[in-house]
Amino acid sequence: MAEKGFTDALEGLAAGVQPESATGAPKGPPADPALHPSVAALRTKFGDAILHNEVVAGDEHVVFILPERALEILRWLKDDPAQSYDYLADVTAVDYGGGRPLQVVYQLWSIQLKRQLRLKAELPLVALEIDSVVPLWNAANWLEREVYDMFGIQFRGHPDLRRIMMPDNYAEGHPLRKDFPLRGRFSRAEQTRRALEMEVEDYYIPTELDAAEESEREAHRESELSG
Amino acid sequence: MGLDRQLPSRKGLPMLQQGEGETTWLTTKLDFVVNWSRRNSIWPMPFGTACCAIEMMATAASKYDLARFGMERMAFSPRQADLFICAGRVPYKMAAVLRRIWDQMPQPKWCISMGACASSGGVFDVYSMVQGIDTIIPVDVYIPGCPPRPEGLMYGILMLQEKIRGEANPLTNRALHDALRAEPESKVGRANMPPGMIDELTLPFGNSTKQNRVSGLVSTGALARPIDRQP
Repeated sequence: MAEKGFTDALEGLAAGVQPESATGAPKGPPADPALHPSVAALRTKFGDAILHNEVVAGDEHVVFILPERALEILRWLKDDPAQSYDYLADVTAVDYGGGRPLQVVYQLWSIQLKRQLRLKAELPLVALEIDSVVPLWNAANWLEREVYDMFGIQFRGHPDLRRIMMPDNYAEGHPLRKDFPLRGRFSRAEQTRRALEMEVEDYYIPTELDAAEESEREAHRESELSG
Repeated sequence: MGLDRQLPSRKGLPMLQQGEGETTWLTTKLDFVVNWSRRNSIWPMPFGTACCAIEMMATAASKYDLARFGMERMAFSPRQADLFICAGRVPYKMAAVLRRIWDQMPQPKWCISMGACASSGGVFDVYSMVQGIDTIIPVDVYIPGCPPRPEGLMYGILMLQEKIRGEANPLTNRALHDALRAEPESKVGRANMPPGMIDELTLPFGNSTKQNRVSGLVSTGALARPIDRQP
């Protein structure tokens, strides 16, 4: 039995990811919102902006929200005293391939109420844009830069939306997308040539270079004083 | 031959004048002494980027004790190092750094590529990873393993010492010396081999042959999106 399942899985792998219609969320029966106080409160407060909610991995509550109202919903979750999700654990994204929409994932934690909640906003591939949550949590700054670098999602209102891992002049696209070839788009020779032509200025902005220089000067001054 | 022209003044070295290219008792002994001192006092420059570096640290620590081979001094500056040990995977973002460190090391210098990732890219046959540091710098000894045990690293170093035994100085064998040690300006900061050779060496192998540059495992229809073609 197990062997048959394995062969089926192999065949499915060979056939590739099958495109699905790019509809909203529902993948299973909706979980009972009453199980999580925040989900119930979100349902009553925002109504249509809450598309679907489910429970995964036992007790992980996931709420699918409208991307246009994501900032508004997150602001309420942070500021409302009954919710007070004051800690943004992660902003990331998922691409399930097959032309399905990209999901932006917000993982929230309330330090005070010891409660966690995951929100997902689905963005169609033709309009990869969502509001930045940096105004709410400064932690989102680099997390959103990473999502932008790896998936190409634009964050409206982000103070400094640049690539964070790949070099600024990386020309092959956004690597974590399912349609990105495993080895990149250029030949290995071209990738090597580009990599060797990199200067330190390609990795850092002038402000960062100035800061590094200043700290180096300071260390030098200190060593002179102590020596 | 151009040998006469290239040799420095022979005054004071009468025994060198026994015909062109011939080795004499004095010059072979000179080679022997120089090579003996070099191979027994190698100062490694550790370039540890991953788990191989942990094994390298274990090799240098008391149990395996690299100092037995004249290597107790790890030089953390390339300018005071003879041996470049690349231990771990190297991403493309690190390639220019690696090349620059190599360029900063004075001759004579050697390079050990430690582990599967440094030697061939290992399991990381992906967009971000250098497929073997020999595409960037010349390598003397490749050590297999993932990661190699300390014995593996020490065996590689012993092999390198054997290799150094066969080297020559400019007085005895200029051609051999230049082949091993010459470093033209044009190679500084450049790849170690021509583009065609890099492409050939880094072709997918083994399991990964099933994946093409444009993978068959993902839907290719989405590739036509204009956003992917933008730089």
